Amino acid sequence: MSTITTAQFKKGMFIEFKDEPHLITDMQFVNPGKGSAFVRTKLKSLKSGKVQEFTFKSGESAEELPIETREMQYLYKEGEGYVFMDNFSFEQCTISATMLGDFINYLKPNDSYQVLMFEENAVGLRFPKKVWLKVTEATEGAKGNTVSGATKTVVVETGATITVPLFIKEGDTIGIDPETGAYLERG
Amino acid sequence: MNTWKTLKAHPELWERYFIREKVIAAIRIFFGQQKFHEVETPLLIAHPPAESYLDIFETTLFDRNRNPTKAYLSTSPEVPLKKLMVAGIGNCFAVTKSFRNMETQSNLHNPEFTILEWYRVGADYRDIMSDCEELLVFINTYIKRTTPGMETQRPEELSYQGTRVNLAGPWERLTVADAFLRWAHVDFAEFLLEDHAKSIAQKKGYVIEAETTWEELYNQIFLNEIESHLGRGKPTILYEFPGVMGALARKKKSDPRFAERFEFYIEGLELGDCYSELTDWKEQQSRFESELKEIKRLGKTIYDYDHDFIDALKAGLPDSSGIAIGVDRLVMLFADAKRVQDTMLFPSEELFHVP
Repeated sequence: MSTITTAQFKKGMFIEFKDEPHLITDMQFVNPGKGSAFVRTKLKSLKSGKVQEFTFKSGESAEELPIETREMQYLYKEGEGYVFMDNFSFEQCTISATMLGDFINYLKPNDSYQVLMFEENAVGLRFPKKVWLKVTEATEGAKGNTVSGATKTVVVETGATITVPLFIKEGDTIGIDPETGAYLERG
Repeated sequence: MNTWKTLKAHPELWERYFIREKVIAAIRIFFGQQKFHEVETPLLIAHPPAESYLDIFETTLFDRNRNPTKAYLSTSPEVPLKKLMVAGIGNCFAVTKSFRNMETQSNLHNPEFTILEWYRVGADYRDIMSDCEELLVFINTYIKRTTPGMETQRPEELSYQGTRVNLAGPWERLTVADAFLRWAHVDFAEFLLEDHAKSIAQKKGYVIEAETTWEELYNQIFLNEIESHLGRGKPTILYEFPGVMGALARKKKSDPRFAERFEFYIEGLELGDCYSELTDWKEQQSRFESELKEIKRLGKTIYDYDHDFIDALKAGLPDSSGIAIGVDRLVMLFADAKRVQDTMLFPSEELFHVP
């Protein structure tokens, strides 16, 4: 463990909070009227998956947890968990749906991901900024539908629906921001 | 994606951005009808008011011979408006840009923002409470009348993030002490004593470090345990703030531990900060001087305070009260947006690529 201050806080970082490991899922600065700056975080407990809000004093210290990353292949969903396999040792591990959040919509079997390990347990993924997925269902753009701004929805290979420009066709590979689910570009 | 590109692809979003012009138009009509003067205050200034909690934008003004003078971007129109009050303008207001450095990475702040301030002569903070109640209903009514499909909705009701809010006055009035008791189970008279505050906060599990101040503990408890409860379904006026906060507010005569100050909240969102104005120039000067010391201690940009403002107070500021309202948050509320940036055509985060 190493001691850090709120200045080093980042989304996706793991810290100890109330004696339990937590993932920072969101952070915002707040300045109350006539007050100093504070850091408002959303913290997800690695044990319970429960999310709580906590506001730190700006500059307050916390313990960052040592997290290792291992490259693993996603295999399949099993119950509420998602099974990954180490590409070298063939060791398998399961990550819970709560720790993956909306990213479950973009998980593609056989693709490799950076799995986050804490004390020998898989606790999450280092989410990529962009995922590339193939469009499996797309309709022609609706004619005369100018109000909605020349977009339509398509289905990609993982089953997620994405809002895209009209020129996207079935079979195209598109880049998606997994954090927002927004279409970024055509491959 | 930059906002202009998003708007080009999603023209249905224009309506959300057009709420801003309606809010500002309604503000002008509201005060115009009451014969307030709207004035322009400078954005480029020589002496900011000393407020240690704010970080300032510093720049340089050159004369024709390139002789440099330090210049700053205004953090609020308060001081120029008060000088005009001294000069005898009467009731007045400004809707203007203000700048506060370091206010990035937040859904509720933008380093450049729009602020509304109005001042009423002969008024105290209770009169401004009524102004706020009337102004919010007025803006809401104006938006509904001018937005197709909303004409038939109730003028005092709005929907924010799926919750119905009734803006009709009188709003709930809650003292800071009552809020601490109700939501944080803290006896505020005890909390006002610094040593007690530390032990109360420590028992609650907050981290106390050598440099932790009373103000930090106060705000940390407020932000963690109280703020989100305020203004649910109906606006809340939170009043009687501890006197140590607010460099330009008048203290209560009956209890100088508190300032005649209030803030109002809707759905956990702070929208405005009001106080009865401090008219005593000696006290103002000594507060500015202690704020400057604090600015130095914090290692922030150092500047001299506005001595012309002290001169103005010497000449006599009429008894008055005023308020600052974050127009961007107001727009966010009426536009039912989650972030102030979602109501700005050119938010700073897009221009500077900072988160």
